[in-house]
Amino acid sequence: MSYKSPEETGTPRWVKVFGVIAALVVVLLIVLLVFGGGHGPQRHGSSPAAGVTMPQ
Amino acid sequence: VTLAPRLRKFVFTAHVVSSVGWLGAITGFLALAVASLTSDETETVRGAYLAMDVMGWFVLVPLAFASLLTGLVQSLGTHWGLFRHYWVLFKLLINVVATVLLLMYTQTLDALADTARESDHLLRSASPTLHASAALVLLLVATTLAVYKPRGLTPYGQRKQREAAQTSR
Repeated sequence: MSYKSPEETGTPRWVKVFGVIAALVVVLLIVLLVFGGGHGPQRHGSSPAAGVTMPQ
Repeated sequence: VTLAPRLRKFVFTAHVVSSVGWLGAITGFLALAVASLTSDETETVRGAYLAMDVMGWFVLVPLAFASLLTGLVQSLGTHWGLFRHYWVLFKLLINVVATVLLLMYTQTLDALADTARESDHLLRSASPTLHASAALVLLLVATTLAVYKPRGLTPYGQRKQREAAQTSR
């Protein structure tokens, strides 16, 4: 009979939970990138017309 | 490769200092990001964008690389290994993802700082607050994993453990 340590009992539950959360976050980010109008410096741009102007 | 005890403690200390320092620096960065978003004073907003850019390049990026490098040495030079335990693997993934995103985000910080430097009008961007909040969550998860070290061997770790048990018989 082969001995199995307590750590060798399949994937722990916390790993599965982490995996599901990570997958959901990745899917959410992909959806935001695809349908949210892009990402990157150009999105945060410098045009005054694109955002709130500074108080003078 | 197993590190000598003295070197192991040195690398461990460097890893804790750089990782917790990174977490603390992100908290400071978040304060600046919130100030840039909420302050009514032009100079405060402008100064916050300039400070975030400097902080990104000269505090966050060096700390991120120091944390990643010392973490790699620490795990490869001890019995923990890099791919044997799930918590080490998750920490590695978090560290790599956070470092890559940070490097990419420095472009945005440069663009925001250029606008703050050159234009009379500034975009009030929620981007630094959102990114710093996400980074804070990631680094808190990594820190929690490092402290609690939840059990769980990867299939590779289980195989290595069996091999070690067989050779020790």
